[in-house]
Amino acid sequence: MLARRSRWAGRTAPSTRTLGTRELRWLGVLLVAAQLPQAPHLPIWVAVAGLALVLVRVAILRTDPWRPQAPPARIPSWTLAVFAIAAAIAVRQTFGYFVGRDPSVAFLYILVAIKYLETRTARDATLLVCLACFLLMTPFFYSQSLVAALAALPAVVLIGVALDVLAHAQSIATRTFQPGVALRRSAVLMLQGLPLAFLLFVFFPRLAQPLWGLPTDWIARSGLSDSMSPGQISELSLSDEVAFRVEFDGAVPSARDRYWRGPVFARFDGRTWSGMPFGVPDRSTPSDGAIVSYTVTLEPNERRSLFALELPAAPPVLQSGSASGRDVKAIITRDRQVLLSTPVTQALRYTQRSHLAASYPAASPNEGRLLLGLGEGNPRTIAFARALRREVPDDHAFIAAILSKFRDENFVYTLTPPFYDRDPVDLFVFEERRGFCEHYASAFALMLRAAGIPARVVTGYQGGATNRDYMIVRQSDAHAWTEALLDGRWTRFDPTAAVAPSRVEIGLGGALRAGEPLPFLARLDGTWLTRVQLAWDAFNYDWRRNVIGFNRERQRTLWNDWKLDPYAPWQIVLLVAGLAGTWAALVVGGLMWKRRKQERALVLWDGLNRRLARAGLPRHPYEGPIAFAHRAAARWPQFAIAFTAIGESFAALRYGDVPAPREREALLATLKRAIEVLPPPGTLRGAS
Amino acid sequence: MTLRPASEPRPPTAIRLAQVQAQLARIVVGKDAPLRLALACLLARGHLLIEDIPGVGKSTLAQALAATLGLKYSRIQFTSDLLPADVLGVSIYDERNQAFRFHPGPIFSAVVLADEINRAPPKTQSALLEAMEERQVSLDGQTRRLPDPFFVIATQNPIEQIGAYPLPESQLDRFLMAIELGYPDPAAERELLVGGDRRAHLGELPPLADAATLADWQREVTEIHVAPALLDYVQALLAASRGHGSDGGDASFGESGTRRGLSPRAGLMLLNAARAHALIAARPMALPEDVQAVFPAVAGHRLAGGTRAGAAQAQALLRAVALP
Repeated sequence: MLARRSRWAGRTAPSTRTLGTRELRWLGVLLVAAQLPQAPHLPIWVAVAGLALVLVRVAILRTDPWRPQAPPARIPSWTLAVFAIAAAIAVRQTFGYFVGRDPSVAFLYILVAIKYLETRTARDATLLVCLACFLLMTPFFYSQSLVAALAALPAVVLIGVALDVLAHAQSIATRTFQPGVALRRSAVLMLQGLPLAFLLFVFFPRLAQPLWGLPTDWIARSGLSDSMSPGQISELSLSDEVAFRVEFDGAVPSARDRYWRGPVFARFDGRTWSGMPFGVPDRSTPSDGAIVSYTVTLEPNERRSLFALELPAAPPVLQSGSASGRDVKAIITRDRQVLLSTPVTQALRYTQRSHLAASYPAASPNEGRLLLGLGEGNPRTIAFARALRREVPDDHAFIAAILSKFRDENFVYTLTPPFYDRDPVDLFVFEERRGFCEHYASAFALMLRAAGIPARVVTGYQGGATNRDYMIVRQSDAHAWTEALLDGRWTRFDPTAAVAPSRVEIGLGGALRAGEPLPFLARLDGTWLTRVQLAWDAFNYDWRRNVIGFNRERQRTLWNDWKLDPYAPWQIVLLVAGLAGTWAALVVGGLMWKRRKQERALVLWDGLNRRLARAGLPRHPYEGPIAFAHRAAARWPQFAIAFTAIGESFAALRYGDVPAPREREALLATLKRAIEVLPPPGTLRGAS
Repeated sequence: MTLRPASEPRPPTAIRLAQVQAQLARIVVGKDAPLRLALACLLARGHLLIEDIPGVGKSTLAQALAATLGLKYSRIQFTSDLLPADVLGVSIYDERNQAFRFHPGPIFSAVVLADEINRAPPKTQSALLEAMEERQVSLDGQTRRLPDPFFVIATQNPIEQIGAYPLPESQLDRFLMAIELGYPDPAAERELLVGGDRRAHLGELPPLADAATLADWQREVTEIHVAPALLDYVQALLAASRGHGSDGGDASFGESGTRRGLSPRAGLMLLNAARAHALIAARPMALPEDVQAVFPAVAGHRLAGGTRAGAAQAQALLRAVALP
């Protein structure tokens, strides 16, 4: 019975060993570090509750001064089940569903904290470290930016510390644990692992499709939407968020030519412009205008529209990043929109060619007949346009007359137009005269239609700011303009340019009056803050281009450049094995060399200890160098001088203040020579 | 050969300290180790507690130390009716000058022998101990500095505890070291018996130093080098004294027999004492041997169970902790 019990106890001892206060505290630190990067992506109550649960445990850890022997406090187990069920219900209530990425991540976030509340043994702790690793991965579901990677870094280092603490506890005999040392050790290990990580990054074969899809939930993203009503774009214009970035092959077109065409709206209901329900592919290519070629990196926006300079010449060449792999196609529709077959859920890179042209031939002469609808309301505008049309029968003169009306009649370009509820165009044109680009584009298109000229509204971005070798287009560059069918050609008219020419020439910041609210960056134009922000953006862009965007094709290209055959796996395997081996040899060799250099005295001393132990005089573990040398000299008086020299030189090397390398070398030489004087252990044993 | 400790001429301090030791050894016969500890304690600017029976040479040691170092000596015999004013001094109204005049007590000496400190009531004890800690005396709203150097040797008789007020552990902490003198060995005893009372020779001792020299030596102690490897060792000793359960630092109340571990201050004092010991041994750096030499005296009265049991415990700790 006794034997059985002891064997049982022996087997389970390591995993059921109760954790000490310090180990639990470090686990708490690790968990907080793993939770923090995820917290911004969660509903606020989840983020706070998860952190609070961890902090509660850390707070009750303080040893009870009256019962110092008691194990660290913990919360009774049955309450944890209550917590978990309450959390599950609350998460379900918050999200409205439970099986999905967001609620699952939120539940995991809380569950890890609950697990921590009941953690008591070493096995729990190991499990908790694994859970922390998993939790640490979840922020990358939401963002794979450089910031996200950096935010995960502290927790990665702390995982090392936590494991260190756990491993330490079992053999903590005489050494004291120092957090600084553990942190440094963990950081050094991470640094040493970097080359290996880089090697695998470059050489581990990328899959054309991920093993499992990145789970996606529907997220509301800012960006141009599928319809346009007054006030929408001006709201967008206050956002500094990046819409996409562009690299041009060759010269950058001038600002007035940079109309990034997006969703085109042909239907008008009196208030809102919306698109035609079908996008018919079109293969015809306009042939006039200078050709530019460029690569766009589009931020995920959950929509199908891609953006191209007017006018896109051919469907884009997709490079990387779309969520669903190879079946994604892009087309150009009849109204010259570039559409993707699936929504853009991850940053997407595509190369696009465009003609810089402000007009292009209509696909068919009848195309315009559908584009004359006036919607409901706005009688004054329609009447005004018809009256003007009777005076000015010529299309071009009519358009010029309307544009000069906008220019001359004290219209104001503003980001904060009043809210127009009924007959919005009437109110805008005849009462308030304050509007943003969508008001002008909408009113202009309606007037053309009332006069019998087919017209539609194009939304997209206008302008963009150059940063180093690429261009940033932000949400604040969102714009709307008008296309009219004149003489069988669709021609671009930008009524906003008539009111505020500088909007097109300089950008939003230059076009608005003083005192208008502006996106943060447009306000700071030219200050050092802008420069810092742009430098950061460039850095982030490089990260996206070269790290996130390093996909199968780029891997293949790289291998080709290095004359590696992607279809001969053994080449890759050999190369990786060779490089990894070299790396390991370098690290291990470096460590050994450093140790040798630093602790040569210790190595010599240990060697001497072994020799004397074999000769029958082992050093006591607590015995200092002088004391041991004394004892040895007493045992072998004929070598007393050597022993004294050994003891004193080693003591000076290990405990003395000998900063000069030459002096150290001399002391080392003394130590070495004095040890060499001694005969081998066998002889010594007999010599006493 | 550039053997630092061996080849360098022994620093004059060390020679003079050796002379001091030799002179002391002529008076206090056969007690080299306690003498060295007492000297180290003085050099480390600490105070000394001697626990021993009467007649083994406690006051002789104090007197010899004061005489050899050329310091002013005074002795306070603690009794159950001793008042703080008897130790610190008192202000008396002077008729002629129409003012209070302060008459400094016996504590205003460089070397003070507080004999049988556990006989005095706690109020008097704490007056002395406070003065030891602060190195100044506050009386009648006036602060008076004690001389520098200032060294208290307190004795207590461990056997006759009836009617005595044993020092509480927190007060014991004010003493850097607690040592026992013990009976002399037969050879030393024979010499004592033959040579007669050594106190007769006390008056003839030439002073080998003065207060300024001693201050210099005390400064030199602080310059003794302490290597990281030695700090590792001291930390290991401290951790071991606290008894290390799985959670190290918090287990000072652990179940491993030691009720009370060494405080960080004790660690600092241990290091200072080791430095002083290294200076006496004529080394520019402190070695584990120095730490081991002073450890029982420094740690003994801080560990549980009285000085004697504590010193045994300290010895056991020394044997249990390997050099890192």
